[in-house]
Amino acid sequence: MIPRVPPSANQDKIISVHGVKFVYNGGVQALAGIDIDIRRGDYLAIVGGNGSGKTTLAKNMNGLLRPTNGSVTINGVSTSEQTVAELAKVIGYAFQNPDHQLFCSSVVEEVRFGPLNLGYPEAEVAKKTEMSIEAMGLSSVKDQPPFSLTLGERRRVSIASVMAMDPQVFILDEPTTGLDARETDDLMEGVDRLNLDGRTVVLITHDMKLVAKHAKRVVVMSEGRIVLDSDPRGVFTDLELLLRSKLIPPPVAQLAHRLSSLGVPRDVISPEELVFHLMSGRGALE
Amino acid sequence: MTAFIDLYTESGTFLHRMDPRVKIVAVATLSLLALIMSHLVYLLVLTAVMVVLILLGRASFQKTMLAFSYVFRVMALIVVLWPIFNPGGTPVLFELGPIRITEPGIMAGIATAVRIFCLAASWYLLMFTTSQRDLVCGLVKMGLRFDFGLSLAMALRFLPTFSAIVESIKDAQRARGMELDKGNLRKRARDYVAVLVPTIITALKMADMLSLALQSRAYGARSDRTYVRELKMLAGDYVALSIAVAVFAIPATAKYIFSIPL
Repeated sequence: MIPRVPPSANQDKIISVHGVKFVYNGGVQALAGIDIDIRRGDYLAIVGGNGSGKTTLAKNMNGLLRPTNGSVTINGVSTSEQTVAELAKVIGYAFQNPDHQLFCSSVVEEVRFGPLNLGYPEAEVAKKTEMSIEAMGLSSVKDQPPFSLTLGERRRVSIASVMAMDPQVFILDEPTTGLDARETDDLMEGVDRLNLDGRTVVLITHDMKLVAKHAKRVVVMSEGRIVLDSDPRGVFTDLELLLRSKLIPPPVAQLAHRLSSLGVPRDVISPEELVFHLMSGRGALE
Repeated sequence: MTAFIDLYTESGTFLHRMDPRVKIVAVATLSLLALIMSHLVYLLVLTAVMVVLILLGRASFQKTMLAFSYVFRVMALIVVLWPIFNPGGTPVLFELGPIRITEPGIMAGIATAVRIFCLAASWYLLMFTTSQRDLVCGLVKMGLRFDFGLSLAMALRFLPTFSAIVESIKDAQRARGMELDKGNLRKRARDYVAVLVPTIITALKMADMLSLALQSRAYGARSDRTYVRELKMLAGDYVALSIAVAVFAIPATAKYIFSIPL
C-alpha cells in the first residue's frame, strides 16, 4: 500500500477536454473553462462540493451534454461528431440513482439491455452479461427483479449493466452514496478490479476517504473550474484548498497535519502509513 | 443541476408585492380582454402594455426568452397556417389549386398570434412575480378548498422536479446506448418502457414519502386550520384591482353595450 505505482504505464490520452465552458439553458454557467486529459488506465476521482460542476463535466464526456465552448475528444474524435449511443461503446456512465435506469423484470435482462442496444451478437451479449454479473457479485440474485434488491445491490446492477457494454472508460457518479461500509467495500472491490484490468475509471464523489483509498489521481473542482489536479497525496497536503472547495479531508489526513510537529509528513493518506511514520520516529523516513 | 427553472424570479417590484388575489383577477381580466379584442392595433397596444409590465417586473431576459421560445413557435405556426385554413374575404393574394391566401386571412392570423402572445404574457406576469406559495394562498383565500390548494401547490412544486427526473432517466438510458425515436415499432415501444417504468416507480416512491412527510406534520389534524401568513389588501392593491377590472369592463361595455367594434 505504501509505495504507490505511477498512474499508468500507458500514457496515451483517451479523453481530452479542451477549453470547455458549459452554460445551461437559462444562463447558469456550470463549467467555466476546463482543460484536462484522461489517460488510458487512469483511476481518476473528480471531487468537489455540490454544484461545482462535476456531473456536468462528466456528462460532457459521454455526449449527454455538448460543450457551449471548447471541445471534448474521445480517442481523438470530437464528441460533437458522435451520438450518445456511439460514445456509449467507449464511455460507460453509471448514474447516481440506480432507480433511474432499472426497468426490467430480472437482473439478467437489465444487464443485457445495454449490449443489445449496441448491437452485439447474441453469443457475445450472453457472455458479457454473464461476466459482468459475476464481476459485480450478483450471481445469486440474477433472476430476481432489480427493484426487489437492496440499494447496494441495485447500484451494482447498474454498474454491471454498464460493464456489459464493455466500455474503455467507466464514469461512476456518486457510486457509494447511501451505502453502508460493507456495501461500499463490495462495490469498490469490483471497481478496483476494473481498473486493474486496464479500464479507465472516473469516480465522481465528495467522499474523500473513498478517494484516499482508491483513486490514483484526484481532480478538485470548485465553481466550474479545476482548482487542483494531482495524485491523492498532493491533494491532502493542502487542507485549506479542500475546505474552500467544500470538501472534508479524511480524518487520517487531518490527524497527520496535527502531528506534523512530530515529524509526520503532511501527505499521509492511509492509517497504515500514519502508524508507520509514528513507529519509525521523528521524520525517520525522509 | 438541471436545465429546468422555476418561472418565479425573486424580486421586490410592485408586481411582486401586489396581493396574489389581485394578480389572479388581473390575469383573468387581461386574458378576457385579449379574447374580446380582434383588431390588430388594439391587440398591439395590449402587447406593448404587457411588455412594459414584464420590464417593470424586472424579469430576467434569459428566463423570459426561454419561457417564450415555445410561445413564439406556436405564434409562427399560427401565422403560417391561419391564412391557409381560413381563406375568407378579399383581396385574394395568391391561389394554387385548393390553397387560397387572402389579405384578411393573413391579418387574422397575425392578430391571433398576437392574441396568443397576450394570453401567454399575462400568465407569465403572474407566474414570474408570484411564488407558488402565494399563488395557492391567494386561491385558497378566494374560496378554493384547502385540500385542492395543497394538491395544486404540490403538483406545481413537483412539476419541475419530475421533469428533471424524466430527463435524468432518459439520459441514463441513452448512456446505455438506447436511441429514442429510432428503429422499428417494437424497439421503440420497448425503449419507452425503459423510460416509463423507472418514472412510475420513482413517482410512487416520491408520493409515498410525501404522504409520510405530510402526516408527520399533522396534516388534517383539525379542519379549522389557521394560516401562518394572512393576506391583507393594502390601498395600492385596491387601486390595482380597480384598474384591472376597469381595463376589462370599459372595453367590454363599449363592445357589447354600445356595439363599438374592437
